Amino acid sequence: MDEIMSRKRTSFFTIFWGILALLYFFLPIYGTLDFSLRMERGILGFKAYKIIFADPRFWEGFRYSVTMAVITIIVSAAIFVPTIYWMYLKVPQARPIMEIITILPFVIPGIILVFGLIRTFSRPPLQLTTSTFKTDILMIAGYVIISMPYMFRAVDVGMRSIDVRTLTEAAQSLGSNWFHVLADVIIPNLRLAILGGSLICFATVMGELILADFLVRPALGPYMVRLGLTKAYEPAALAIISYSLTWFSLGLLQFFSSRSERQKQQVITT
Amino acid sequence: MTHLELTHIHKSFGASVAVEDFNLTVKQGEFVSFLGPSGCGKTTTLRMVAGFELPTSGNVTLNGKDLTYVPPNKRNVGMVFQSYALFPNMTVAQNVGYGLKIAGKSKNEIEERVREMLSLIQMDKFYSRYPYQLSGGQQQRVALARALAIQPELLLLDEPLSALDAKIRFELRQEIRRIQQKLGITTIYVTHDQEEALSLSDRIVVMSQGKIEQVGNPFEIYNFPQTRFVAKFVGSLNTVTATVVDPAKGIASFDGINLEIAQGLNGKNKGEEVTIAIRPERFNFLAEQRKENVFDCTIENITFLGSVVRVQMKIGNSIFNMDTFNRPSLKLPNIGGKEQVTCSNKAVLVLAG
Repeated sequence: MDEIMSRKRTSFFTIFWGILALLYFFLPIYGTLDFSLRMERGILGFKAYKIIFADPRFWEGFRYSVTMAVITIIVSAAIFVPTIYWMYLKVPQARPIMEIITILPFVIPGIILVFGLIRTFSRPPLQLTTSTFKTDILMIAGYVIISMPYMFRAVDVGMRSIDVRTLTEAAQSLGSNWFHVLADVIIPNLRLAILGGSLICFATVMGELILADFLVRPALGPYMVRLGLTKAYEPAALAIISYSLTWFSLGLLQFFSSRSERQKQQVITT
Repeated sequence: MTHLELTHIHKSFGASVAVEDFNLTVKQGEFVSFLGPSGCGKTTTLRMVAGFELPTSGNVTLNGKDLTYVPPNKRNVGMVFQSYALFPNMTVAQNVGYGLKIAGKSKNEIEERVREMLSLIQMDKFYSRYPYQLSGGQQQRVALARALAIQPELLLLDEPLSALDAKIRFELRQEIRRIQQKLGITTIYVTHDQEEALSLSDRIVVMSQGKIEQVGNPFEIYNFPQTRFVAKFVGSLNTVTATVVDPAKGIASFDGINLEIAQGLNGKNKGEEVTIAIRPERFNFLAEQRKENVFDCTIENITFLGSVVRVQMKIGNSIFNMDTFNRPSLKLPNIGGKEQVTCSNKAVLVLAG
């Protein structure tokens, strides 16, 4: 009897705290959404969204941020996948050190990173602020650092889920060289992990403000801030668009991981 | 004809010696097992043959070619791992054909060979399945087919059955031997399971602490162990320390009881201590007139082990085990009862080391 009562109490509190958490997270978003739809007095409509979508500066910022995000993902994956693979294979004891290094972007404020980058690369020997192309390179380097904790952890979890050493040795015993081992065996088995890291990377770069603002590049983050200085409804609409992008990324991640799980559950044991 | 030759192989990891002065020649088509407990260096030796470890010194020669410093992907040596190591992203057919694809074979050639291999392991129907859709035994058979598909000069198996349950292990053991004999491929098999090594191998290399203890065929290893380690590790064994009484006649004594030894005690001095070993199945209850090696004993315990009954008995002050076949007509003594047991003087071994 006591056990049933205790279970009922637990389930009541689970629901209570669950609802409270949902309200805490979703009420502000609902408020923003509601506000963004009330640009025209007395009616709910998408006027603020239409204004944003009609603004060429939005599309310029969007295109720029998407391009930066895609390049950041490619560079991050190209750096982290072989590095983490090599670490697992040759120096697994270096993993705690790598973990500390990759967590640094969480510890060091973005503003310090930006000032460090600007001070270091605005003077010889490697001056990267003299042209937009070079500044973009600097931006990507900064984005790679900012997204490092996500990419590292995603790939690290993927590596831990497969027996890297034995798969490598099996491929080698069948005649594979390092390139083939990576391309045919390791990367295909890390697909989901790399995708996860990439989507989080994408969301991070799309919402990044400080780096783009200080390096004066036309990304989506600075556009959002500038819009907020002079307008009321449009920034709210932009915030909802930004949220939607992030959720879309996370939704994709969820879709691919659950699909992979479903496939694995079709195990036939004979 | 010598196919594989390991000469003075030595491997150290820092201060710890994993393999010490390992010498072995393996003939074409021979099935050789490395048998020993965990940490005895058997897998390290196998990995040096595969090219995954470099020997600290010594040479690995295959078909007259020195492979010591040849990378693993250039050795043409097939390997089967304990954890199957099938590529999860590939189907059974893609796994089996992977080595051929890397070797640049044509699609038709790969297809034909894959079908041939799947037929060899009787898994034709599993062509399009993924590894996660297979049981452990099936995965290991695919791993075997994958290793054989590239027509390697040498097949290495690193405890391939350890992760499987007893019934599958037994079936797959027969399968491995059948395929090996059919293809006539030289095979090195690493195991810590004496039954596997005894039932599969042409020759067994028993290893302990990085060194070879004994090399011989299963019959020699079981019946004539040369060292105390081999005797204890392969099969169960009764050992007792005895004192040499008459070296010429091969008589030693323990707890005041004389024991005749057919192999003699040549080279031993009277009064010297020797280790005597007798396999449990070599004891019998006395049912005939025998003059040598008849012992009075007290029955201490009786254990049923299925097809075998193990009788624990005390001879003098020493405890011995006797194994006898379990048949319905078997009359077992009472625990605590006095009996007489015997063993042939040929069953008594004198151990070195």
